[in-house]
Amino acid sequence: MKIPKVLLPVVVFAKIAIRRAFRDRVALFFIFLFPLIFLFVFGGIFGKANNVSFKFALLNNSNSAFSKQFVNSIEQTKVFKVDITADTLPKAEEKMNRGQLDATIVLPADFGVVKNGQYPSGAAQVLYTQNNEQAGQTLTSVMQAQFQSINAKYVTSQTPFTVTSKELNTKSLSQFDYTFSGLLGFSIIGLGVFGPVNVFPELKKQGVLKRLHTTPLKVWQYFLANALSQAVIGLVSLALMFAVAISVFHLKVVGNYVELAVFLAASIIMILGIGLAIGGWAKNERQAAPLSNIVVFPMLFLSGTFFPRFLMPPWLQKVSNFLPLTPVIDGVRLMATEGKNLLQIGPQVELLAVWMVVVYMIAFRTFRWE
Amino acid sequence: MAEIILKVKDLTKRYGDKTVVDGVSFEVNKGEVFGILGPNGAGKTTTLEMIEAMRTIDGGSAHLAGIDVSKDPTKIKRIIGVQPQSPAFMDKVKLTEQLEQIASTYGERVDSPQLLREVDLVEKADSYVENLSGGQKQRFSIVASLVHKPKVFFMDEPTTGLDPQARRHLWDLVRTIQSRGTTVILTTHYMEEAEMLCDRVAIMDDGKIIALDSPKHLVKQLLARGFKKAQHVEQANLEDVFIDLTGKELRT
Repeated sequence: MKIPKVLLPVVVFAKIAIRRAFRDRVALFFIFLFPLIFLFVFGGIFGKANNVSFKFALLNNSNSAFSKQFVNSIEQTKVFKVDITADTLPKAEEKMNRGQLDATIVLPADFGVVKNGQYPSGAAQVLYTQNNEQAGQTLTSVMQAQFQSINAKYVTSQTPFTVTSKELNTKSLSQFDYTFSGLLGFSIIGLGVFGPVNVFPELKKQGVLKRLHTTPLKVWQYFLANALSQAVIGLVSLALMFAVAISVFHLKVVGNYVELAVFLAASIIMILGIGLAIGGWAKNERQAAPLSNIVVFPMLFLSGTFFPRFLMPPWLQKVSNFLPLTPVIDGVRLMATEGKNLLQIGPQVELLAVWMVVVYMIAFRTFRWE
Repeated sequence: MAEIILKVKDLTKRYGDKTVVDGVSFEVNKGEVFGILGPNGAGKTTTLEMIEAMRTIDGGSAHLAGIDVSKDPTKIKRIIGVQPQSPAFMDKVKLTEQLEQIASTYGERVDSPQLLREVDLVEKADSYVENLSGGQKQRFSIVASLVHKPKVFFMDEPTTGLDPQARRHLWDLVRTIQSRGTTVILTTHYMEEAEMLCDRVAIMDDGKIIALDSPKHLVKQLLARGFKKAQHVEQANLEDVFIDLTGKELRT
């Protein structure tokens, strides 16, 4: 294959940079393992959070056969999680005060005892703190519904009004879908900003960039080579995250992988521009570190990396709409989990393109070889 | 008359109100080894870096092979090779890959084994630069600066920090480069090195050139001014002993 002379350095530098990344254990850790650690941590937290469950203490003071059966059936439901370590009222209260338990159910000593020779009866009590009013009340009504069906077995009664529920077939976005696209964004930031911000000042200190400056190598050639190698390395890293998310956390990708890869590559290159601008400008680590933190942290918190943007107040959503990372995270989610194609996420693609131009214009102007 | 390859006129560099290079003028003939001598801070490196199109020229001009440095820096970079003061290369990149990278910036492909053979590094082809000794690193750096066969080769303090063998080895290398018709311009603060290697030297101090001639003439002029050195009758010095015992021929 004949490569035009002007592109030869781009291809050669990119090729060697990719090889080099796979030789460097520290780089390998940050490129591949580090994002996966985050994926496991956040996936573990949010992966199964789709089903609401209550954590509570169950204090059974009764010896009746009915109460034992009742406790058994409660412990087997998915919605209820009984904390068996909180087996006394003081312990349960302490845990509730710390927010570790939602409520406490107390079954009194006479609960389920057969009185007047007919059927078991009793009054369970739900205790909750002020902050957990919602959980306490939900738990109360769930218990009430359970008792109703039990009551019906002993006392026949008419029920003119009933309510039934039915699960729709369509799947809504789970918490993990939001978490995953946010983690991809986090990973892209890690690669694209923290990578160059750490590496470039070091290369300047060693004089590696000065050496390159003695050759006819142009800044755009050097940037393009960096973008190319970063896109390849980044896509491999993100593919690994997808593989883990799909196999371990049951992520369902409905979008087209090719379009997704194109969008992700563009995102990686755009975010890399931020790193090139900061790392390329900074003379040393002392200049690079604070600036990168100022730029990166607002993006991490406001672009939906760790929690979805729809949880923010409207004015904050409006502001965070325009941050560089926002179209990346939104675009990935829309494509991967909602099956949109590149044309359907026009606003995200446009914003990405605008940032690409802005970021690289700054990077070109501020780049210093030493 | 020899052909002039570099013509520097009133070259000036200022940082703030400090004039680091103060109206320096000299000419270098094609094919000679030209030395710039001077203490640290004399402005040697800055002078070179202006000619190499690495730093902007604040005053005066430099023409290399007829090309105005400040007008066409890229063209200059294509015909010069530069050996910076401390050779710096990316870690975890093999020597062959380093050469491939540098050659690519000139739009060229390169025969790495052949180049490495010239500086006795062919068996290190797959090593990383960080695993080379000081002398090997210096030799590699030189060959890396010559991949595109430059017309003029700049060396900034090439032997600082090298042991005597490595230094002698490097001098041989410089002579080989010169014998192929490449003009060599180097800075040094080792007088002995300048005397051994350079056809002509310029002595710089405080941003100015205070003397320019062949080492022989400079010594003659000094003697003509009535200078007398305290007499020594030693036929050899400690360095000669060291070289004799350890061997100069450090070819492997």
